[in-house]
Amino acid sequence: MDIKPILSSLRRSPTGAILVALQIALALAITVNSLYIITQRLELIGRDPGMDVKNIFFVGFVPSGDKYQGEVTMREDLAILRGLPGVLAATTVNAVPLSGGGSSTSMYTEPNEKGRRGDMNYFQVDEQGVQTFGVRLAEGRNFDATAVTKPARMSSESPSEILITKDVARDMFPGEPALGKTVYTGTSQPATVVGIIDHMHGSWPGWDKVGNVALFPVIADETFARYMVRARPGQRDEAMQMAEDALNKLDNGRVIIRVRSLEYVAASTYADDRAMATYLSVVIALLLGISALGIFGLAAFNVSTRTKQIGTRRAVGARRADILHYFLAENWLITTVGVVIGCVLALLLGYWLSTTFELPRLKLYYLVLGAVALWIVSLVAALRPARRASLVSPAIATRTV
Amino acid sequence: MLEMTRVTKAYRTDLLETHALREFSLKVDKGEFVAVTGPSGSGKTTFLNVAGLLETFDSGSYQLDGVDVSKLDDDARSNVRNHKIGFIFQSFNLIPDLNVFDNVDVPLRYRRMPANERRERINSALDLVGLTSRVKHLPSQLSGGQQQRVAIARALAGDPALLLADEPTGNLDSLMARQVMDLLEQINGMGATIVMVTHDPELARRAHRNVQVIDGQITDYKPYEAHSASVTVLHPPAGDAAAFG
Amino acid sequence: MFTYDLRLALDSLRRHPGLSALMVLAIALGIAVCTVTFTIYHAMSTNPIPHKSSQLYAVTLDTWSADRPYDDDKPENTPQLLTYRDATFLHEAKAAPRSVIMYKSGALLLPERSGVKPFNANLRVTSHDFFSMFDVPFQYGQGWDATADSEPQPVVVLSDETNQKVFAGENSVGRTLKLGKVEYRVAGVLQPWAPSPKFFDLNNGAFEDPEDVYVPYGWGRSLELPVYGNTNCWKAESGDTYQDFLNSECVWLQYWAELPTTADRDRFQAFVDNYARSQKAAGRMPRPLNNRLYDVGQWLDRNEVVQRDNRVLIGIALLFLGVCLVNVVGLLLAKFLNAAPLTGLRRALGASRRDIVRQHMMEVLVIGLAGGVLGLLLAIGGLAGIRAIYGSDFNRGAYQRLTEIDPVVVVVTLALALLAGAIAGLYPAWRIGRTAPAIYLKTQ
Repeated sequence: MDIKPILSSLRRSPTGAILVALQIALALAITVNSLYIITQRLELIGRDPGMDVKNIFFVGFVPSGDKYQGEVTMREDLAILRGLPGVLAATTVNAVPLSGGGSSTSMYTEPNEKGRRGDMNYFQVDEQGVQTFGVRLAEGRNFDATAVTKPARMSSESPSEILITKDVARDMFPGEPALGKTVYTGTSQPATVVGIIDHMHGSWPGWDKVGNVALFPVIADETFARYMVRARPGQRDEAMQMAEDALNKLDNGRVIIRVRSLEYVAASTYADDRAMATYLSVVIALLLGISALGIFGLAAFNVSTRTKQIGTRRAVGARRADILHYFLAENWLITTVGVVIGCVLALLLGYWLSTTFELPRLKLYYLVLGAVALWIVSLVAALRPARRASLVSPAIATRTV
Repeated sequence: MLEMTRVTKAYRTDLLETHALREFSLKVDKGEFVAVTGPSGSGKTTFLNVAGLLETFDSGSYQLDGVDVSKLDDDARSNVRNHKIGFIFQSFNLIPDLNVFDNVDVPLRYRRMPANERRERINSALDLVGLTSRVKHLPSQLSGGQQQRVAIARALAGDPALLLADEPTGNLDSLMARQVMDLLEQINGMGATIVMVTHDPELARRAHRNVQVIDGQITDYKPYEAHSASVTVLHPPAGDAAAFG
Repeated sequence: MFTYDLRLALDSLRRHPGLSALMVLAIALGIAVCTVTFTIYHAMSTNPIPHKSSQLYAVTLDTWSADRPYDDDKPENTPQLLTYRDATFLHEAKAAPRSVIMYKSGALLLPERSGVKPFNANLRVTSHDFFSMFDVPFQYGQGWDATADSEPQPVVVLSDETNQKVFAGENSVGRTLKLGKVEYRVAGVLQPWAPSPKFFDLNNGAFEDPEDVYVPYGWGRSLELPVYGNTNCWKAESGDTYQDFLNSECVWLQYWAELPTTADRDRFQAFVDNYARSQKAAGRMPRPLNNRLYDVGQWLDRNEVVQRDNRVLIGIALLFLGVCLVNVVGLLLAKFLNAAPLTGLRRALGASRRDIVRQHMMEVLVIGLAGGVLGLLLAIGGLAGIRAIYGSDFNRGAYQRLTEIDPVVVVVTLALALLAGAIAGLYPAWRIGRTAPAIYLKTQ
């Protein structure tokens, strides 16, 4: 393919070409960085929380009268919940994972806050806690029912056995097994690690230690407690309705205020990330669309001003395919210049984003992806005008109008 | 060389049908210089387009340099135009972005000729028309006469069997017109077959034979007179005599 | 001349409907994306209480551990909440002309009349100055006084929404309702009020709905009302009672001071520093002296209310607009040069270069305006879409407030569109004005 006439032609009237190249460069820079941010967010949202998110729901309640009898009432309610068809397990819990709200504490490998420290987001559950969360125990065992206590409301009493995730184990006992070890609260109360959970996300998905979770065998205080229920696969919605109805029927001194699925909670927490990903996707789509239309418009104009030239070339022997290739090659040349400039801009923009906003650095294969996308968009946009050029009749050459 | 037999071409719109060429027959021998004249609207341009394979025709037959070119597809016609026909247009039709050298180069590129062969042909064509000193110039930097001579060089560079000229001096002043006609005669003298469409009878007289087209048909037919003996052969560069043989 | 130019512009646009539509669309999309992004950014970064924002101060003390700072990433940051001991001391010392001590809580609300379901109400347990300090507007009745705080008296103030829910929006002053075990009398009802951002309490999200019921501060201790905001404790302290909790180093209270003049501010800062020094002497507050006062603007910055995300989005929106403009420049150039013979004719007939440029700029401005209007409509649609998709219970109030179009945005949008169009059109208009008429009148 002969590049020289294309270059000569471009050198004579470069403005149109510069504008197209500039447009492509900017579009590439934006697309690449947006794509990168989108994948980051989707990765964030797509992390495995380790729990049976699809089938868990929470029942919020508030003690309402003198009939309320603390642990007794809660056990009554749990018995009802566990007895429902479609329910696998149920427990009391002090907080909802993935909701942005919860409790955390630090424990140490030695008394008096010595040794290694482990930060953990703890959930107070009874012996059905593990089963209700649906987490996998990598080592050790679950609590016995006998280990479950209900301390007084303001008490700083700590459980004697706990479950921790592998992340916590790694923080506190790097390179050694944590099972069976004793850890100490800030007030030097000991607790034995009786089981290690494979992995689980806690209350704060935005925390870099979101996988640092512990389960305590404690019946949560009624000021903050909820019932957590795990339904059989696919039966969550019916179970939610049945649970609310069954509990409302019983008048034992508490009011049911809300029944909500974990799926909903997670979606709500991740709503901002999802919104960001959606917004950027829309921007990319609009960007590519506008670029395609713009390139199409300019290419069509380009062809329309050169019909005489096209006719002449055909007259001296160019085939239709030769004309098509000429215009596609011209488009490809301009696009490539745009892509090259765009890659530089994309890297600069990516670098600026990563330093200003502490995002990780842009990976190179996004550049390749973006470049290919824009080459394709540009080609598709220029195809019709190029085809129309090839259909210009050679008889135009002899026309004198 | 060129033999059209009862060629008919009609232009159809929704409302009417115009017969631009009707049972048009013309025979041109190798080495002839024929002028095709006629009033405007007579079908001269259509004849040129058909003869140059720029347009198809409806019925009849057309033989060019021994090959039946009546029913060729678009690619084949492009090929014939490239190898066998050289065009000279009234408005020169040089590509404004390209310099003189590149303009003459255009048809050779479509032949996928190697670079040194192309260079040789371009230089000798430019030499023939006397423009080797302006090889790097753009068309906008040339006078009308110079532009037409570049166009002629472009037409010649591929060593065509037939030169088709459409009002070659229409956009030129009388001095330049004479130069161009002298050049055409010179080329004809070297053996090239030229068919020239014109409405100017003065111009037509410089050809060997005149043919008149009215309403899409040939009406006049002066037989070929042996003028070739009276034409002086100017020194062609070495190697080119064979090209026009 | 203006109407003539306008007519020419409209004719020219009509002659190339496809190209013109494309240009309008390009500007519209660029403007729409910018408007949506700016609206949200603007809502996030508005000063919620402009006439007072430099007089209200969030008070913080560094009561944190000697071993590690409150914020590992930014060690100079103090905790945003105070301990019970510190907040109580400062409030009772009346070191500031006005101050408020408060926290968020919750209780079961049992309405007086039947037919309204009990629900868990969000409470703001606060001292009486809350309403005057933050200029909270009342619909009916009023707040309470210092005695009501200390006794405490069983009075409450309702939000408008709660009043609608429980009393069907009537003037409920004097009516009663039950929160938990205690019956309260309604002292006042607020007008619909939702400062955005919710600057005085950013614990649970900067744009969440305000509380349902306001309760005098004394009830917090009296009923041991739970803390619904954050409770952070660095010190391991054993304790079993509520009193132990009050004595602890846990931070959970919000404390704001109104300090109208610089003198007030300096005086208060000195007072707080002195108090801290005395506490350090007694063995508390092991970290270096670092007691910070933040006015509203600084408080919003400290809590990073305008998230990084939004700044990134602004940048991307502007770049997108840039691409749209480059597009429009190219198309304008094409359009103008295509009509060059006509322009050449006009020049030959006596139009000056300035006339030509002006006429073409008029065309550009028409396109800009059309793009702006279309862009605004698209933006409104886009914001409504965002509201619809993301307005779950948790976020509905927030997204509602963040996606409202206000008149400022409309004006800025249209101005931006005209400006964008003008910038895009400058080069093409100049180009077409520059070329000599003769060139375009000659046939090729």
